[in-house]
Amino acid sequence: MTDTQNSRDAVVIERTFDAPVVLIWRMWTEPEFLKEWYGPDGASIPIANMDVRVGGIRRVCMEMPSPNGPMQMWFTGEYREVVEHQRLVYTESVSAESGPVLSPTSPGTAGGHPMMTEVRVELEAVGNRTKMVMTHAGVPSDSPGAAGWAMALDKLAANIATNRGR
Amino acid sequence: MTTAIDEDRLTETFAALANSTRRAILARLAEGGATVNELAEPFTLTLPAISKHIKVLERAGLVVRGQRAQYRPCVLDATPLEAVSTWADRYRPVWEARFDRMDDYLRQLRRQEGASEADD
Repeated sequence: MTDTQNSRDAVVIERTFDAPVVLIWRMWTEPEFLKEWYGPDGASIPIANMDVRVGGIRRVCMEMPSPNGPMQMWFTGEYREVVEHQRLVYTESVSAESGPVLSPTSPGTAGGHPMMTEVRVELEAVGNRTKMVMTHAGVPSDSPGAAGWAMALDKLAANIATNRGR
Repeated sequence: MTTAIDEDRLTETFAALANSTRRAILARLAEGGATVNELAEPFTLTLPAISKHIKVLERAGLVVRGQRAQYRPCVLDATPLEAVSTWADRYRPVWEARFDRMDDYLRQLRRQEGASEADD
């Protein structure tokens, strides 16, 4: 957690919701709840298939109005960790309607090489409220052992900044 | 919202960076342009192997090769790296907005609950 906190390739958001942990868990895992908050205003979520168990597939379709008719975005991935009311980890790849739709068994390897990301949700009950830490990190699709990658990139970027400043 | 093309581009950048030799080459180029021979010096790899790595970096747009004679020095182009560093910046507002809506929805559910309790 701490090593991704400030790295450039992850979004880390900590929030406390005025709701019990059971309800926040449902927000993430049940389609009728997810549909209420996942898409921006004006968007709808016509499809949200969430097989919430390790190895289960998550497939969410978001539909947005556009001048050329409705535009679809597909979020496809696989659940990596499922600890009820505590921790949810899944991978995610985004594709446009006309873009490559991933084969669920091989995330990140279908035509067009969409980038894979990982979403990690950690929940903690604080009285009747819920503290949530959400981490959304980029995962290089062709390198399973990406450890140290973010650090290397940070170092490289710092190096470049230093050299530009000369 | 990122486009599929952006995503493809990022994938290429990530793939190019997911290799320690290529990162070392980029770090060396961050200090200034160099020929393939100069880049190969610190490594035990053969020249063709180094050339292959440079080609990957070129395809990812991270390295530009000069047109000067057979030396064709390599120069770093950090533009794709800037895209990488802003990936999270672009997603953060998306998530913030989602959680704002979750907050609103939770409030709505509480109101409904309160209303139904009042009915009882």
